[in-house]
Amino acid sequence: MRKLLRHPVVATAIKALGRNRLQTGLTVLGIAVGVATVLAMMAVGAGAQRSIEQQVRAAGLNQITIRAGNWRPKVEESDEAIAHQGDARESLRHPLERRRGDVMPIAFHPEDDPMEKHDHPTARQRLGDLEAGLGSAATMTFDDAEAIRRLPGVQYVAGGIHENVRVHLDQKRWFTRMHGTDVMMPSIKRAWMFTSGRFFTAREQDRASQVVVLGQVVADRLFGAGANPVGQDVSLWNQSFEVVGVITSATWVVRPAPGDDQFDAVYMPYTTTQRLLNLSKLNDITVTAESSGDISRLSREITRLLRVRHGIGDHESDDFTLITQAARALTTGGLPPSVARAVASNVAELEKVTLEQLALTMERASRTMTWLLAAIAAVSLLVGGIGIMNITLLSVTERTREIGLRMAVGARRRDVMRQFLFEAVVISTAGGLIGVIVGVIASIGIARALRWATVVSPLSVMLAFGVAAAVGVFFGWYPARRASRLDPIVALRRE
Amino acid sequence: MIDVHGLAKQYQVGDHVVHALRGVTLSAAAGEFVTIVGPSGSGKSTFMHILGCLDRPTSGRYLLNGRDVSTLPGDELARVRNETIGFVFQGFNLLARTSALDNVELPLLYTRQGVVKSDERRNRAMAALDAVGLTDRADHHPSQLSGGQQQRVAIARALVTQPSLLLADEPTGNLDTTTSHEVMEIFARLRRDRGITMVVITHERDIAAYGTRTVDFRDGLIVSDVPNVAREMVGHR
Repeated sequence: MRKLLRHPVVATAIKALGRNRLQTGLTVLGIAVGVATVLAMMAVGAGAQRSIEQQVRAAGLNQITIRAGNWRPKVEESDEAIAHQGDARESLRHPLERRRGDVMPIAFHPEDDPMEKHDHPTARQRLGDLEAGLGSAATMTFDDAEAIRRLPGVQYVAGGIHENVRVHLDQKRWFTRMHGTDVMMPSIKRAWMFTSGRFFTAREQDRASQVVVLGQVVADRLFGAGANPVGQDVSLWNQSFEVVGVITSATWVVRPAPGDDQFDAVYMPYTTTQRLLNLSKLNDITVTAESSGDISRLSREITRLLRVRHGIGDHESDDFTLITQAARALTTGGLPPSVARAVASNVAELEKVTLEQLALTMERASRTMTWLLAAIAAVSLLVGGIGIMNITLLSVTERTREIGLRMAVGARRRDVMRQFLFEAVVISTAGGLIGVIVGVIASIGIARALRWATVVSPLSVMLAFGVAAAVGVFFGWYPARRASRLDPIVALRRE
Repeated sequence: MIDVHGLAKQYQVGDHVVHALRGVTLSAAAGEFVTIVGPSGSGKSTFMHILGCLDRPTSGRYLLNGRDVSTLPGDELARVRNETIGFVFQGFNLLARTSALDNVELPLLYTRQGVVKSDERRNRAMAALDAVGLTDRADHHPSQLSGGQQQRVAIARALVTQPSLLLADEPTGNLDTTTSHEVMEIFARLRRDRGITMVVITHERDIAAYGTRTVDFRDGLIVSDVPNVAREMVGHR
């Protein structure tokens, strides 16, 4: 550093800049403001984008769910369902209902018992026929899941078996959803948070252990709000299960509520479900893509793979249903089930409405933002750059004799040019440095004060700094060139 | 050393052309001490600028150490100025707020090999200051030095690249008589000890007498060119 400061070009620059300390300082300030603005804005922009992405991820928009069976409601049925909306019993007729009384204790859904009192919507009410009817076909296996896992671009794969169950704790009981699933599930459900305990382990899954993870709603109902049920036993199907963890939502967007599919639910290894219920099928397979833009391609590949694996001919329809999040959002999102059903049955191939479209919309929005930021950056840096040009021109004028002298003792034009360019760049990079520091502090301040997510990436810092340096070169060019073009004789005579 | 033939220089000033030099022919052998006298506007400064490779003649030929420098490109001229020629100005032209030593080092920043290393720069600058007897003022800024001292620093700066030709444009113009003679004594000594060729412009006859020969300019032409025998004797006194 010391050596660098003694380098003649550097030393001369420092001396020269020190001569007009106030002007230099003001110019540095101008550039600093510009750079800080750029950086803070970039941080806000990147933060906004990241939080959108996080929300998207949390919502699982890079998810594909493949359900066994291919069941679509006929349009007339939907119309009828909408017409009879008032009479839930009538309109929500389920094929399983007709089987009531059959010797199928496991397939008997307590939810379907007309004598049962519900304090939350039934599966069909909350999921719609489309969803509730799916997954019942026994066409998908663990091997299908393994085959999908080997596809390129696949991040996580989790096979699942879903049943409605009654969970007992002593005299208390709670009717809820049971998900037999994979250890990978917490990685897929990014919006999960553990209130206490943990998810089941790969070892427990291998052994088909009788462990269960409770959703927050179930834990609250059975153990009371605030209690820690980890280590205690609950019973399902008259079997004892050890509670190993409790999950809740990590985002404010989704709050656990009775009847939701995530937190009013219990989770156990799918192996345990298969063992206890003597099943080998999977109801569904949940797949996440490494990149959300890959969903469409991955959907096609999974469809192709499963059709081959299931030996489905060209003219036969799929024996599974592939659902991406866009379709899911329609059927399980804020729309009333009847409306969702109507839309789902009328929009052909809804599942193909993928993240790509959503990503495109997001990209368009962020591009607008980027242009806005670029405009702000351009204006502030232009003003700073003009300041640099001004002070460098001033410097050239003041030091005309010095330039003449330097030329007389052997400085080439390019030496003179380099000297003044360097001085301009020193001002701009000093401004850049201060701007980066102020910008980072401002970003943190914005994050704190406004509760906005801001992201200062090393790239944006380098970019801001680089832009500052470039401004120095650009606006220093003209004065430096002017200096280098001076006639030494004229320059030496100048007072 | 210097071989100038038919040197002419014209300027365009407004509508009319100024003939600063109208065909100057002059030769100076290595180690000569040429003093140039003449009234203002006689072209002696223009001549000096061409000799110093700061300017190019409109016509005519200038051989410096046998090399035609009148048509060299700018960077080459800069190199000639750096390596072969030392300048001393009437107004000293020292950098303000810069120590004598740093001022002397200045030409070493522009050598053909690039910037001379700082240690070597320092040693060579100190040697040059030693030649003008100012080593004890190395850290002083120009404002802390007398006129004579400042001019000696300027001479040291001209010497630091060990040029073979030293050009001085009225070096004593801003100095009192005593100091003027001190400065001229330094020039005489440098010529004697180092064999440096000197070309000095002056208005004063007694200063011109330091030269081994005095050239008189008038209206862009040399009107007289006489050897200065008496000063030869003074120089050897």
